[in-house]
Amino acid sequence: MTTENIEIKVKIEYTKTSQSRYVSHLDNIDVITKALRRLQLPYAVSQGCHIRPKLSFAPPLPLGHASYCEYLIITLEKEIEPEKLKTDLTDQLPEGMTVTNVIQPWIEKKSKNIGERLEYLLHFRDLATAQIAKEYLSDPESSFEGHHKGKTKKYKLGKAVSKISLSASEGKNLLAVEFEQGIEGIPSVSKIITALAEALDKDKDSLYLIERISLTEL
Amino acid sequence: MTNIIDHLSHWELLNIEKPARYLGGEANQAQSKTDPALKVALVFPDLYELGMSNLAIKIFYESLNNTENIMAERVFSPWIDFEALLRKKDLPIYSLETGRPLYEFDVIFISFPYEMTFTNVLNILDLGKVELCTKNRTNWPIVIGGGPSASNPLPMAKFMDGIFIGDGEESILEICNKLIEFKKQNLSLKEVRMALAEIEGLWVPEFPRNVRRRIFKGFANSAPPLKPVIPNVQAIHNRAPIEIFRGCINGCRFCNAGYYYRPKRERSSESLIKYAHQLLENTGEESLGLLSLSTSDYSELSCLIEGLDRDKLYPEQTVSIPSMRMTDNTIKLLNSSSRIRKGGLTFAPEAGTQKLRNIINKNITEEDIIHVMKTTGGSEYRTVKLYLMMGLPFETDEDISGIVNLVEKLDNIGRTCSPKKQITVSLSGFVPKAFTPFQWSRQNTIEELKNKRFAVCKGLERRRVQISWRDEYLCLLEAVLSRGDEQVGDLVLAAFRNGCKFDGWHECFSKSGWEKAFEDTQIQTSKYTSELSINSPLPWDFIDFRTPKAFYREEYLKAAQIAGVTPE
Repeated sequence: MTTENIEIKVKIEYTKTSQSRYVSHLDNIDVITKALRRLQLPYAVSQGCHIRPKLSFAPPLPLGHASYCEYLIITLEKEIEPEKLKTDLTDQLPEGMTVTNVIQPWIEKKSKNIGERLEYLLHFRDLATAQIAKEYLSDPESSFEGHHKGKTKKYKLGKAVSKISLSASEGKNLLAVEFEQGIEGIPSVSKIITALAEALDKDKDSLYLIERISLTEL
Repeated sequence: MTNIIDHLSHWELLNIEKPARYLGGEANQAQSKTDPALKVALVFPDLYELGMSNLAIKIFYESLNNTENIMAERVFSPWIDFEALLRKKDLPIYSLETGRPLYEFDVIFISFPYEMTFTNVLNILDLGKVELCTKNRTNWPIVIGGGPSASNPLPMAKFMDGIFIGDGEESILEICNKLIEFKKQNLSLKEVRMALAEIEGLWVPEFPRNVRRRIFKGFANSAPPLKPVIPNVQAIHNRAPIEIFRGCINGCRFCNAGYYYRPKRERSSESLIKYAHQLLENTGEESLGLLSLSTSDYSELSCLIEGLDRDKLYPEQTVSIPSMRMTDNTIKLLNSSSRIRKGGLTFAPEAGTQKLRNIINKNITEEDIIHVMKTTGGSEYRTVKLYLMMGLPFETDEDISGIVNLVEKLDNIGRTCSPKKQITVSLSGFVPKAFTPFQWSRQNTIEELKNKRFAVCKGLERRRVQISWRDEYLCLLEAVLSRGDEQVGDLVLAAFRNGCKFDGWHECFSKSGWEKAFEDTQIQTSKYTSELSINSPLPWDFIDFRTPKAFYREEYLKAAQIAGVTPE
């Protein structure tokens, strides 16, 4: 009788908030890989000279953006107990990173690769600046300069913002914005937020927290 | 307590390089203690990436935080951009654990890992709003320095309440426990310093007395740090370090570390395998670094490597072994395990001829190097790195041509290998160090060192050899800072005032700042770089380094005898 090697994909969803939002994507991969090793999970490894755990990560989160929808997909050789992994991995991660969900098995759907929808919450210290930001983001004609492959390029907001709403209560001024990105001709959220900060100029410190709430493939 | 991190805005943090360096919150970070009896700052005067790789910081962090009532926190040098931000906002440098300003600690332990961090030491105290000179300091925190570059403590004496000479494991706890008592007794700074001077190994400049280098006799049976903080920004050495033995038996006559860490003390392979297991369990590092000054001299090395291979925690686990002497046996050993990282072959012959290697007591022969090159011809080692020094005592022109000849021979062999081997040569000027047999030796002038470097580069210009070298002015500075007296403290202060910092970083080094500091203080470099008489007293004679001065003298004379020279 031969033992067949099984491989199960598991999706681990986690947050990246507080200090950890300033950890770069590459450092983040390193930090999480070490945490997974500490748990001694039965993960599958890549073949070749330099063997590595079979892992894939969500697209890079812009530095400084907090996120409640980060994920990674790990290939395991044995099933694990999802709830236990959720607690154990959270204990191993730096401050600001918490595992929110473990999906086993994770069956990858074929991506149509036509972009993604992102829900963001922008926190402002004052309502006036939040309103200026709302106007800027609501106007498809808002334009700015950004860098692409080492060159300066002109961008227009266009259809990047699909929904926007402002709420102000209990001293919190929240701008909920739905972005679309990864579509030809539409600038990335990272570029838009940088442009917004430049547009706010000396008032940009009013925008003190940028949170990514959800990410859905289109 | 003020948390300085709260004063930094999102956009300010985004404007600086790698903001995660300054925010803490890493896995394995020590839990904050409520009202500890002693608040300790462990300062490493260089960037986060270097400080997080430093073994001493890991040792002290773990032992102090495992002690009830003591809270130890990390403070590293901020890079230029972050320093500018702190200064612009008039914010002090702070600890990563709690954002506590440096001046709010009870004691600051500063590591002196290399002389070129001396201006960073002053910069970090200044940024921490701690009075630089002890004579003007009227309040706690107590500032204590230590580390290999404190062998001769005189250049940093005016800035330190105490300077520790030797192994710090036991003494740091002894100092902390005393300070807890002194705090309760509400002693004045002067009284604290006077009492600290009683501690073995601790030299207190205000109450100078003879001091004996401290040795941690319990090293062999002690546990290494087993749960270090996991950096959020990749450290310079991305591995789990485990010190397999301390000390060195080789006795190279130019090497301060060889004398600073004496005697050789080994942890058993059995205990190391157990500790390595725990360390990897707690860190998840891919690679385990077996650290020592000369790993080939570890008596149970094959047993250790076999054990580590047997007892793997995860499939991709590897072992990295820096500081190996490249002999045939070593290569056999390295090839015995597929899990040993094979970056490249590194040799430190230091000198180009056998005669000069005998003079400096460097026990590697040309035959060894050539043999290793030949036997590893078809192996995965693609690069061969050679460390060589110029300006060594008793060196002749023949020794400089010897460097060229040696590299040419190796390059010829490298070309016949499949795949071809790339030879890299790293050149550095000799720096005479206190507590070595060459402590009396003269340092070559900048011109002499440059001419020697030009000769080597010219000799190898037709070769496919990569050559790098250490700036000659840095070698000169290092000599002044290594063999300096208390007056050199004024020079360091003047350099700091002239904006010098990160002197070991070529992009930051300000030669003009140092030149002006020499002018400001009227200090002549020749006072510290000239040959010293082996019969006259040395400024650092008040330190008992546990190797008699007569031994250094004997070693110096042996070197002179090999060279056929009679010292004056």
